[in-house]
Amino acid sequence: MSARDHATIEELLAARALDGLDGEDAAALEREMSAHGPSCDECRRLEVEFSEVAARLAFALEPLPVDSGMLARILASPGPSSGGAGPSADDDARASGPGDEVAAARRSHRARRTGWVGAVGIAAAVVLLAALVTVRNDGTQPVTRVSSAQRFVPFEGDVGELAMAYTPGEPGAVFWGRDLPDPGAGRVYEIWMVEDDIATSGGCVEPSGGRVGVSVDADIGTTDLMAVTVEPTCSDAPTSDPVFTASLA
Amino acid sequence: MDVGTALLGDRPLETPDGFDDGDLDLVLRVRKGDDDAFRSLFDRYAPTAKALAMRVVRHTHLAEEIVQEAFLAVWRNPDGYDEHRGSVRSWLMGTVHHRAVDAVRREESQRRRTEEAVAEGREDQPDHAEQVADEMARPEERRLVRAALDELPNEQRQILEMMYFEGLSQSGIAEKTGLPLGTVKSRTLLGMRRMRVALGGLER
Repeated sequence: MSARDHATIEELLAARALDGLDGEDAAALEREMSAHGPSCDECRRLEVEFSEVAARLAFALEPLPVDSGMLARILASPGPSSGGAGPSADDDARASGPGDEVAAARRSHRARRTGWVGAVGIAAAVVLLAALVTVRNDGTQPVTRVSSAQRFVPFEGDVGELAMAYTPGEPGAVFWGRDLPDPGAGRVYEIWMVEDDIATSGGCVEPSGGRVGVSVDADIGTTDLMAVTVEPTCSDAPTSDPVFTASLA
Repeated sequence: MDVGTALLGDRPLETPDGFDDGDLDLVLRVRKGDDDAFRSLFDRYAPTAKALAMRVVRHTHLAEEIVQEAFLAVWRNPDGYDEHRGSVRSWLMGTVHHRAVDAVRREESQRRRTEEAVAEGREDQPDHAEQVADEMARPEERRLVRAALDELPNEQRQILEMMYFEGLSQSGIAEKTGLPLGTVKSRTLLGMRRMRVALGGLER
């Protein structure tokens, strides 16, 4: 590979290491690196080096004391060798990060249609839910254990994976996804709650590197159907066909 | 290709405070459910993770949640670490930073970004929080990184700080500063290249 072949990649990787890429550039980087392939040593070297530089920036800061109960809460939750793990859970555990829990959820969803419930996959996704739900709590007592009342819902879509979790009867829901296509310059994914053919917006999200992880305060209530469309901006009504749907019936 | 080879050829990466010593071993042990190994990782990195999250989101509780979320993900899925993609340190700080930036961009209109919020957050530090003092201090590493930042041309340092410590995207910086997006991009790259040399000893 010539030096010129990596000029664009280097520029984009430098920004990505700082989490400074916009959606369009993130998609461009994925395309460029895909074109070079996973075995490109130069791509790997640039990625590693810039990631290291970015990580070290954090150490320019004075460390801050952490709530002394945090460690205990984490260790009290299921760890990597917790019970219930089987071959499918091990496969999930080798995934690259929390986003891959969506894959476990999707396999669970498909299996459910054939009558078999992927309990381990659901458990793995529910633990992720426990981590994500803390984002929207007030912080006084972060959730570290998931109750059986929480419901996990994978979405159906042609490209990418998306799922949500919520507690029936309580406001709010958590959404996370991966491999989501770039919605396009200046466009967003909008979440809709549909009841009796009336769609109410649950908020808008923009994937970063194809991933989203967001909590919304929307009241799921008696929603029949969840849908996601691509919109030019957060809208009052959907202007396009859904790219993801999930039935809550 | 391990991180050391990636950065310094055949010379292992070293820093004054002995970073990365044993981190991989700790992760390998965490994969086997070793509480003590996780505890060591947590003690080593959580305070800096907290400082980073706090710097970006400027809200104590949210910063705490981000740190807990990140380390919970590590505890739950230590296999998420790929040693061919960088050090344990970059994996941990990258996870924390990414979550913090997501939180900032998601809650931009609601986030309390005031001097009073920052001051309140710092005053509210739990007085019972205890970490190994040596792990928290790392004065030499801090001096090294700050010196490298100080050596950057002002315009490059400003861009890097806005992006990394304020969670702004390149277009967000362009909008805020009035600079052309291309200028922001080029200064980002130049700044990161300089930092790479300053911290890694490489000439590019």
